[in-house]
Amino acid sequence: MTGRLAGTVIFAAVLSFAFGLPLISGADPVSQSLMKSLQPPSADGWLGYDHLGRSMSARMAAALRLSLSIALVTLVTTALIGVALGALASWRGGWIDRALVLFADSVVALPALLIVLIAGLILPNQPLAFWAGLSATLWVEIFRLTRATIRSQIASPAVEAAQLLGFGPLYIFRTHLWPELAPVLRATLALTFAAVVMGIAALGFVSVGVRAPTPELGLMMVELLPYWREAPWALLQPVIATLATLLALTLIAGGAKA
Amino acid sequence: MTVLHAETLTVTSGQGTMVAPISLAIEPGQCVTLIGETGSGKSLFAQAILGTLSKDLSASGGLRIAGQDVALDDPQALAGLWGKVISVLPQEPWRALDPLMRARQQVAEVHALVTGQANPEAAAQADLAALDLDEAADRYPFELSGGMAQRLAIAAARAGGARIVVADEPTKGLDIARRDEVARRLKSVTRDGGALLTITHDLDLAEALGGEILVLRNGRLVERGPAAQVLRCPSESYTAELVAAQPRNWPDKPAAQAGAPVLTARGLSVARGGRRLIDGMDLSLRAGEVVGLCGPSGVGKSSLGDTLLGITAPAAGTVLRGAGLARERFQKLWQDPPAAFAPKLSLGRALKDLMSLHRIPADRLPPLLEKLRLEPALLDRRPDAVSGGELQRLSIVRALLLDPVLLFADEPTSRLDPLTQQQVMRLLTDLARTKGIAVLLVSHDPGLIAKATDRQIALSLETAPDEVASATGIGTGRRARS
Repeated sequence: MTGRLAGTVIFAAVLSFAFGLPLISGADPVSQSLMKSLQPPSADGWLGYDHLGRSMSARMAAALRLSLSIALVTLVTTALIGVALGALASWRGGWIDRALVLFADSVVALPALLIVLIAGLILPNQPLAFWAGLSATLWVEIFRLTRATIRSQIASPAVEAAQLLGFGPLYIFRTHLWPELAPVLRATLALTFAAVVMGIAALGFVSVGVRAPTPELGLMMVELLPYWREAPWALLQPVIATLATLLALTLIAGGAKA
Repeated sequence: MTVLHAETLTVTSGQGTMVAPISLAIEPGQCVTLIGETGSGKSLFAQAILGTLSKDLSASGGLRIAGQDVALDDPQALAGLWGKVISVLPQEPWRALDPLMRARQQVAEVHALVTGQANPEAAAQADLAALDLDEAADRYPFELSGGMAQRLAIAAARAGGARIVVADEPTKGLDIARRDEVARRLKSVTRDGGALLTITHDLDLAEALGGEILVLRNGRLVERGPAAQVLRCPSESYTAELVAAQPRNWPDKPAAQAGAPVLTARGLSVARGGRRLIDGMDLSLRAGEVVGLCGPSGVGKSSLGDTLLGITAPAAGTVLRGAGLARERFQKLWQDPPAAFAPKLSLGRALKDLMSLHRIPADRLPPLLEKLRLEPALLDRRPDAVSGGELQRLSIVRALLLDPVLLFADEPTSRLDPLTQQQVMRLLTDLARTKGIAVLLVSHDPGLIAKATDRQIALSLETAPDEVASATGIGTGRRARS
């Protein structure tokens, strides 16, 4: 329980930094000032300035906003697709079930990052590509979990009773299936969120993700890597932010099981 | 010499006394049976003697086993006696076997580890031969029949040479044939000069074992005496109630006046998991009659009922509901009442949802609750906070709200106490008579089937289903093989 509490606190801190900073500071994440290049943290620039003299605090907040927003939208999409298909497969059974399982298995067989890269080539902008590509791969986990959990529930006398009493599928899902499914899904959703944040950073780090000058955690790590000797504090910032976000989500996921 | 002597043995918890002082003595070759409903404290008493009480309970009083005083507050003192002096026959013994160990090894292990025999394999073989298991010595538990697995468990439990055997609900979940076998095996303990302490709510088993009977209720001793006397002419009203609650002692129900057929099946075949269980069966259920559905486990009783209700599709043939009867008027009662309700929904909420779904006026519920003697306050609770009997009555209320014409009752009372079982069954037969509901009743208890049903449909594994007209002669005695 303490692990989950700690995770929630860290995540809340990351969120309030990302979304609260623009409210108190008007710094532009892309405006350059070479005079300030690699200036260490000070009173007017709390987190210092990068090699092009851009405000690190504004860039960090913008990068986190980007990652967290894409992750949130992706999470909602994957959850909807996964739960809907999982419920459909376990409810109808038969060939629908077999076809969906086969489809899910084929999606897993493709490398997730490859699908994201393909989406990046097809779709007009990068956040949209992340959303589409990651949603297309990450729903499988939720689909499998939903299918397995609901399967055992559907055969239970309680669901049989509800069907005999004339209740429709929506009522049965809401009162019988969802209360069993929600606690099981919580951990997976937290880990899926983490996977999205991680995926965006990884693509940025190998320079196939978001294009400069848009601030993004992985991209910032690459940009600041050549200056690690002069400004290790600058390189450490996106690393720590990524680490803190992933740690918080993992703690939340782990706590749900205990 | 007294083998087991308990003096004013008391079990207490933080809240108070769980089992009031009870004394008993068992001589070699004697047996004592504790009977009572769930929660009567009979299992706690046995756990105190075995030293397996949970940590928040404590036992006091005196205990002498084989002439030696045993400290009740020291679990280690009793643990040293397990296997050698006192042994336990577990509930559902076939579950106590190691699934990955051959039969001989299960017994030889006890000889080797508990008694330190020089040749455990030979001793085990002798034990198995004594129980007619010698040809099964090299088989795994899953290769044994239920009865053989049970004998094997008994052999393993007794291999340590313990003279005191404690059997906790040894017939739980058994059908009649197996129950008699267990009774015979248990009696062999006393024949060999052992002492037997049995805990059960099965009065037939208690009678078969004989010896002394102690009747417990709410942790207090109600009555004690020789088995024949206690069960034949009980002196306490509670014991008399328990005896009267045995299905074969039930009063006869009023004769059936069967009405129009509510459900007819023609050429019905039922399959489950690819195996055809029932082939080409014709049957018809009429309003107001109670029909028993019997047969051994796995013969397809529940599958047949589910097919008739339309939960599963028939493999062949047709099921016709009476003209103008909606699907919701064919309802089912489940064996395990808590499993038939949404666990996280209050009972009142569940009933309210049902009533708004079918536009049932709210004033229909209170009279039904009253008729089934249910407190309205129960509706605020969740299914796990209500007793099994109350919950089964609530599921009857739930079905009655839909004006059922057929109730398929799948062992509706097998998890209930005898007194509650009698109440629920009487209620069901009354409803059949007064409301003209057809009841299809599955049960393993021939006594219950005989008393509660008008006619029976017997399913057997080899032959086609036979429809048997009972003494009241409502059935038409059709043969049902195509």
